[in-house]
Amino acid sequence: MKPAPTLSTAFLHPAGHTLPEPLAALRRQQSSSLVDLPLPTRKTENWKYSSKYLKLTDEMAISLPADGKSGSSLAVPGYKVVVLNGIMMPEASDYPDLDGITIERFEDLDGDTATWLAERLDHALDSQSVQISRLNTARFEDGLLIRLKPGAVLDQPLFIIHETNADASGSAYPRIYVDAGANSQITLVEEYISSGTESAMVNTVTEMNLGEGANVTSIRLNMEGENVQHIGSTGVLQQRSSRFESHCVGFGGPLRRHDLQVRLEGEGADCKLNGVVVTQGKQHYDNHTTIEHVAAHCNSEETYRNIAADQSHAVFNGRIHIHQDAQKSNAEMNNKNLLLSNGAEIDTKPELEIYADDVKCAHGATIGQLDETSLFYLVSRGIGRREANVLLTMAFINELVEQIPVEAVRETAQGRLNHFFEQTFQEA
Amino acid sequence: MLSIKNLHASVEGKEILKGINLEIKAGEVHAIMGPNGSGKSTLSQVLAGNEAFEVTEGEVTLNGENLLELETEERAREGVFLAFQYPVEIPGVSNLQFLRTAVNALRHHRGESEMNAAEFMKLAKEVSRQVDLDPAFLKRGVNQGFSGGEKKRNEIMQALLLQPKLAILDETDSGLDIDALQVVSNGVNALRAKDRAILMVTHYQRLLNHIVPDYVHVLAGGRIVKSGGRELALELEERGYGWLGIKEEETANSSAN
Ligand SMILES: Nc1ncnc2c1ncn2[C@@H]1O[C@H](COP(=O)(O)OP(=O)(O)OP(=O)(O)O)[C@@H](O)[C@H]1O
Ligand SMILES: [Mg+2]
Repeated sequence: MKPAPTLSTAFLHPAGHTLPEPLAALRRQQSSSLVDLPLPTRKTENWKYSSKYLKLTDEMAISLPADGKSGSSLAVPGYKVVVLNGIMMPEASDYPDLDGITIERFEDLDGDTATWLAERLDHALDSQSVQISRLNTARFEDGLLIRLKPGAVLDQPLFIIHETNADASGSAYPRIYVDAGANSQITLVEEYISSGTESAMVNTVTEMNLGEGANVTSIRLNMEGENVQHIGSTGVLQQRSSRFESHCVGFGGPLRRHDLQVRLEGEGADCKLNGVVVTQGKQHYDNHTTIEHVAAHCNSEETYRNIAADQSHAVFNGRIHIHQDAQKSNAEMNNKNLLLSNGAEIDTKPELEIYADDVKCAHGATIGQLDETSLFYLVSRGIGRREANVLLTMAFINELVEQIPVEAVRETAQGRLNHFFEQTFQEA
Repeated sequence: MLSIKNLHASVEGKEILKGINLEIKAGEVHAIMGPNGSGKSTLSQVLAGNEAFEVTEGEVTLNGENLLELETEERAREGVFLAFQYPVEIPGVSNLQFLRTAVNALRHHRGESEMNAAEFMKLAKEVSRQVDLDPAFLKRGVNQGFSGGEKKRNEIMQALLLQPKLAILDETDSGLDIDALQVVSNGVNALRAKDRAILMVTHYQRLLNHIVPDYVHVLAGGRIVKSGGRELALELEERGYGWLGIKEEETANSSAN
């Protein structure tokens, strides 16, 4: 038997950037614990459909430099933080001194704050299920700490533009920690883009802690290029009566993986997770979500839609775990999928584990094709077949796209999706 | 304008239309009546180009052009319009977007410039009033959650917007209350024009009081078994289909057994 592949030691070289000692120590410690980390294979349950897309070469182990040459000049309808290859670029960022809100680079943290943070990192994610994301803690060179004081309300969305510049081969490890104090409010947009054409890997981790009554809306746009493999994890801890809303819009790539893990720890917490994925060509996208109903009286509502064209491959795995004490939990999960070609593949799996007896839990998953009757109705009005296809495909996800709360983000997403569909049906 | 000769069509290997012959001249209104399952909707769908039905024999021309060779969307652009017996609900596509895309597809075909959103909105509002539909319906998904009667009015609204040469109305009068019947009839009468032909499928003579047809045909078992003037409809209303010698076993429904 061939030995199971492990993470190349090239990936475990110490990071270059200096960080405050508590964070540097965490990084060293994690790095040594990852020696011989098994890489996911077909036999790894939560990577079985995706392991074949993960291609890590030693060249990619090099940290992509962030020498400030690049940096996104993207205009955004809100505050902006630019993160280039995992390192925040103050010159390219644009936000005022905000009342009750601090946005800091890990590099700039004072000793106490760094200690405080080091104790909290990696707590919002289940390290067993997101093994490969632990590499982020071993490698991050910088990070963003966003803290909201109790009652603080950010009046405009905060855009975090993660740009991967791959003029050379390498990898980047963006890291974000959000601590939302009681009753605070923020809308956070994470946009992942790339430049350059060499093969690269982005391994990104975002963690959020929502205090009592906090209200966080998170929008994630995944739009990196064909040369970038993306492994992302988002972990969310929710205290009493907090509300978390997530909208993920993803375009496929050579490897796209997003683990979203939400723990409803305080009574009356509420989460809504929406996701839209489109893949074409030979692209891949894999969404793994986990909702832990730990406390009683919590609601979760999850809706994901995948559209796969050509020979592409989309995966959705939705896990809902209702703990023994989580009585009166209300969990709804729905996953609908559209196959636009016979060569495309979609794998969907709901995983329900329910240990409380007084709960409501509904789930449904479907895989289908464009409806012929609807298509005929449209073309019988003179609408061209290609345009009718675009209209119907857009319709399939419009319900979700329309719920994206920031108009400019919604329009960006819509524009990108439209372009995607026009392209897809042109070739057909 | 429309000429149908010896048209045969089947679905899933079962023959439904068994030799239809029909000539409709510009300006005329023809009504087609007949028992359930006799093939009225099949004829309508075949004319519009639904590929679920296979034409096995015969020919259909519109102003001399072979209709059967054209794709569905090309037929629509040449002026064929079908008001569906069961209009399709398409959530996620707004009625407005649907209608504008259709109108612009036809304008594009005629070499005219496309209408922008504002121009189209104005036109759509006018036409929706003509069929007594609140313009709020324009914002909703295509037919989404519309009542039966609202769907039928939406079909007529589309006919008014698209101004076809041949309008085929498949039971556009079914499921309408008295007021709605009046509204729909007014819409159809507004469509009546020298250069337009209308083929109207109905079960009820009452519609023909509002829209007076030039000819009435009876379709049974996939064939036209009787044609006449509007008095034929009155006669059918009084006497049913039995006197024409139509028996259950002659309908397309059971003949395949
Ligand atoms: N897609 C289909 N598959 C199988 N059979 C079909 C299909 N469409 C129509 N048929 C059959 O063809 C026959 C004619 O149907 P059609 O809908 O044309 O009748 P109709 O005259 O319009 O009836 P109604 O008055 O009830 O509307 C029926 O026996 C029907 O069951
Ligand atoms: Mg019918």
